[in-house]
Amino acid sequence: MNDRELIGRVLAGDPGAERALYDAHVDRVFRLVYRMAGDLDRAQDWVQETFIRAFDRLAGFRGESALSTWLCSIAISVSLNGMRQVRRAREREVGLDDAGPLGHQPIQADPDLRTRLGQAIEALPDGYRAVFVMHDVEGYTHDEIARALGVQTGTSKAQLFRARARLREALADFARE
Amino acid sequence: MPVLHDDDRDPLDDRIRELAREVNAPPATPREEMWQAISARRQAQPRRAPRPRWVPWAAAVLAVGIGIGRMSVPESNRPTTPATSVADAPRVNPTAYRLAAEEHLAQSEAFLTLFRASLERPGDHRLASATARQLLTGNRLLLDSPAARDEATRRLLEDLELVLAEIAQLSPASPAQDLDLIRDGMERGDVLSRLRQAVPTGTVPNHGAL
Repeated sequence: MNDRELIGRVLAGDPGAERALYDAHVDRVFRLVYRMAGDLDRAQDWVQETFIRAFDRLAGFRGESALSTWLCSIAISVSLNGMRQVRRAREREVGLDDAGPLGHQPIQADPDLRTRLGQAIEALPDGYRAVFVMHDVEGYTHDEIARALGVQTGTSKAQLFRARARLREALADFARE
Repeated sequence: MPVLHDDDRDPLDDRIRELAREVNAPPATPREEMWQAISARRQAQPRRAPRPRWVPWAAAVLAVGIGIGRMSVPESNRPTTPATSVADAPRVNPTAYRLAAEEHLAQSEAFLTLFRASLERPGDHRLASATARQLLTGNRLLLDSPAARDEATRRLLEDLELVLAEIAQLSPASPAQDLDLIRDGMERGDVLSRLRQAVPTGTVPNHGAL
């Protein structure tokens, strides 16, 4: 059954079709959201929110992009909003005077390159992080990213270019070793 | 700005990319657990009942009635409820639908502008929710009317419906994330800009939902 038929059955109220749609797309959505969240509980919450919103809005899906891209767009929107919430919560915890923006947290020296890279990715501005994770980690094309984020393809490329530059800068001392 | 290619890549990029795939590597998808939570939350939501076949026609007639009433009756003489009948419908000039749509879009644009500004400060959004419900009713009537035959208008009304429906569901207990999602939805669909483009200069929203 293709996506169009599946959507028709969901809209007609077939609960089996809802589950089939979920099963067909949940792995890809979960992988992306987990990469953004970096935390299992948060990732589960955001994936659930993604599918609830998708089912609520399915009647408005016009099929201009693939259903997977549309779901990815909702997942990214939910994730970016969730990340803003997390950042605000962190700022409240440490106090406004001490909290810098998440995107400019100093990176602590760490002998482990993976840990350092994880910190550097988390320190990227949200848009850069989304593009880097989608393209370099999860293998989305720039066209898919552009549609999901609602930006031009050139913007996606530019943000990836800048994200890579920031990561190189953050890991420069490892590169020299 | 230089043209960027995927192969504009430093040798370190490949190493970073390989390592990045190991950082935050996702575990197996907890699909059953998440599906249970999704099902439970969806069952707790009120579901829309399927619309009877006569609704689109009745809605179109009502939309025309609202449009004609708003455009042709002096404000001081307006009745509190629009009067119309099915028999009137065939005589209606298509311009009336367009004018009704413009009036509705002008009201929606004014409402969303105020609503967006109100997001900057914490507060109770019950009034906004009630207003959104009123606008949503008009929006659905117009979607079912000949005003929605125009492709751009129909798409705008459909996107507007999503935003209004989200605002209508706000309650004092709604988490701040809901407001963020609404704001995000407005920005992503460029709804306000499209509303402003769709509303002819000089259109001032009459009373109604606002």
